[in-house]
Amino acid sequence: MRPERALRIGIGGPVGSGKSTLVAALCRTLRDELRIAVVTNDIYTSEDAAFLRREGVLPEGRITAVETGCCPHTAIRDDITANLEAVAELEQADDLDLILVESGGDNLTAIFSPALADVQMFVIDVAGGDDIPRKGGPGITRSDLLVINKQDLAPYVGSSLERMRADATARRRDRPFQFLSLTADPTAAPVADWVRAQVGLYKAGRLPAADARDEPAHAHPGSHAHPHDHDHAHGRASVDS
Amino acid sequence: MARLSLLLLSDGRFPAGGYAHSGGLEPAVADGLDVADLPRFLRDRLAAVARPECMLMLQAARAARAGDLDALRRLDAESEARTPSPPLRTASRRLGAQLLRTACTVWPQQALIAAYRAASAATPRPVAFGVVAAATGLDDLDAAQAYLYEEAATLSGAAARLLPIDAADALRLLADTEPTLIGLAEEVVSSRHPPAELPSAFAPCHELRSLAHSGREGRLFAT
Repeated sequence: MRPERALRIGIGGPVGSGKSTLVAALCRTLRDELRIAVVTNDIYTSEDAAFLRREGVLPEGRITAVETGCCPHTAIRDDITANLEAVAELEQADDLDLILVESGGDNLTAIFSPALADVQMFVIDVAGGDDIPRKGGPGITRSDLLVINKQDLAPYVGSSLERMRADATARRRDRPFQFLSLTADPTAAPVADWVRAQVGLYKAGRLPAADARDEPAHAHPGSHAHPHDHDHAHGRASVDS
Repeated sequence: MARLSLLLLSDGRFPAGGYAHSGGLEPAVADGLDVADLPRFLRDRLAAVARPECMLMLQAARAARAGDLDALRRLDAESEARTPSPPLRTASRRLGAQLLRTACTVWPQQALIAAYRAASAATPRPVAFGVVAAATGLDDLDAAQAYLYEEAATLSGAAARLLPIDAADALRLLADTEPTLIGLAEEVVSSRHPPAELPSAFAPCHELRSLAHSGREGRLFAT
């Protein structure tokens, strides 16, 4: 069944791991093929939204800032109402394919509510320490895509990519992770490919809206994008108004 | 059921967006308010801002019990007219919308909540709160106490993030508001103003600060 609303991808991760830069890169790479909007969740007023507006990656009206009262994780997990209102306003104003919901920089325990993000990526960076994948946490273990950013900095900060690769594989089982360097590849090509694939699955009705997953077999929030084919029916993909 | 509704509605974990607001405390702190000023700030805020809002909220609860959507829409307008500061009016609309959104999920069987949500363009928070309180079976006194408590709890919660005060001490300040809170709730319940004659909040300092706050760099809270 064709979904009635845009796919919502959550982008979380610690402070300074490069979420906003990645969002800007994804918008630039994908804006000619997808109708995209962004919701930012900032700690201080609208820093991240202001950054995206300065970068001019999307029309002004496609970027909305949600204020989080110094609790970015609350706004994406425990009380998503402000984000859902922002999403609803964006959908009312425009016909959209994709809404990127960027979390405010937080710690390793942040994760998106399944009622807010249909799929989510978690962005860490090699300069934050090569032990981060081993430390785990829901973003590391359960996100649909783990992005290990700033790959080019590894030799300068003494981080072992091999160790990060081994730990990420062990922690995530069959869920994908992706090394990335926006310096070497400003288009974020592999992550953009992943986003394209999610939108394709979603539009084909093979990735149901997270808030419509009502089958017990799929009661594992945030972990549904690992590549397996569905030949069975899912819960309805509905619009939440 | 009403007892559990009261507990749910008053629980800080009830997701209705309140965590992003300081109840005017952050702008006051920017103007020099300190820990020692908190008890008075709390009392003043309850009496000058929350009390008249609470009266409007109760009118909404009564209209909701009568299933009168037209009266609720008139109260929307009365509430908006009593909120001259644009950022506070916007915040009230958003908080009302967020409360209704969650209430529709938590109590899907209470059709009145969804009916008001669909019928109201503005959803100011006092009216939305009155609708949810009535639909979930709260009587006037419980609704009034819950409304006033939430106002005080928002302030006390924000205080622990904005000022050098421990969370337990901030809760003590909240507990200390009991005589004020109970007295105001009883007074509000016994008042019987027609909607157009409801008193308006008179807190010009708070309203002016809200204007300056909305454009301030680096603030933590929306209001």
